[in-house]
Amino acid sequence: MIQTIEASPDEIYDIELEHSLLEANAQLAKENRALLDRHGVTAVDVMGAIGSGKTTLIGRLVERLKDRFGVAVFNGDATTSSDADLIANQSVPVVQIATINGCHLDANLVGKALQKISLEQLRLVFIENIGNLICPAEFPLGSKARVVVVSVTEGPYMVRKHPHMFLGAQLVVINKIDLAEAMGVSVAELTKDVHKLKPDLRVIPTSCKTGDGLDEVTAALLAV
Amino acid sequence: MHELSVASAVVEKVLEFVSAHSVKKVLAVRLAIGELSHIEAEQLRFCYVAITEQTPIQDSALEIETVEAVVNCERCRYRGRPKYWDDALSVGPIPTMECPNCGGAVEIAEGNDCAIKSIRFAVEDDGLAIPAA
Repeated sequence: MIQTIEASPDEIYDIELEHSLLEANAQLAKENRALLDRHGVTAVDVMGAIGSGKTTLIGRLVERLKDRFGVAVFNGDATTSSDADLIANQSVPVVQIATINGCHLDANLVGKALQKISLEQLRLVFIENIGNLICPAEFPLGSKARVVVVSVTEGPYMVRKHPHMFLGAQLVVINKIDLAEAMGVSVAELTKDVHKLKPDLRVIPTSCKTGDGLDEVTAALLAV
Repeated sequence: MHELSVASAVVEKVLEFVSAHSVKKVLAVRLAIGELSHIEAEQLRFCYVAITEQTPIQDSALEIETVEAVVNCERCRYRGRPKYWDDALSVGPIPTMECPNCGGAVEIAEGNDCAIKSIRFAVEDDGLAIPAA
């Protein structure tokens, strides 16, 4: 029952609202998760900077997994379909999510993408987030795991410059380790920085070029 | 730059409140922003002013309070402020998920939300009933 009070003309009132601005997205994320769970599908949200190698990593993982079970990919991108085009070559269901001016994917967009594919016979959905290092952290999508892809080419301070991304992540991939020496960037130091932010966060160094670490990432994702 | 979408969500909710009640003028909207949320107060204010122009809530003040982070440690049962990463390179302390007590991993308990706390407003001259807080 709603209680009411009588307000006098021009009287000033202060009403408590306690309305969460992030709740609407969080609720939609829960609905996405429930839909995925009902179909036994695991969604993995892949976050990281533009050029960190998100698409290439997803592509390598899809190559390894697509013959074993159903895999689909959602590619979030503000302006191009280049990422979706790359993955589509692998003949798995791909949905391009164009955010245009949006700096992150949200649960509503992912929910719409989920309507576009058949969830039957699917086991894993990779959701490639927008190449932005702050905003996506605020918007859960309904995924079971959030993966942050960092590459050594982003320099030695990458992790500490974008701490928020790591706090809610379940896995960190340090990519392009074949270039670490040339870049003068220490994978061990980047790993140490991750653990300063979150001591139990798993870190896997990879190179999509040499294939280093990809078996480990595959196993880690299958275990979530 | 998701401050714009947050500001839009604030304005949408306040306008909804204004149209549902006999509000003459909205004086202030008070927000509580968690220390661990990624919303920048100055950018949010800028967006708020821009998008409230020519709406019934133009010129209302946006008051922003910060909600301090609180973390829980499963291992040692610590509950309190997080450990901060603050060294020579830091321009400000960075909250971490390392337990300040035992060094284990903590969970966020408070300080990662962003909410409208309250709306301060004057009512119409006919003084209609409004829902009590």
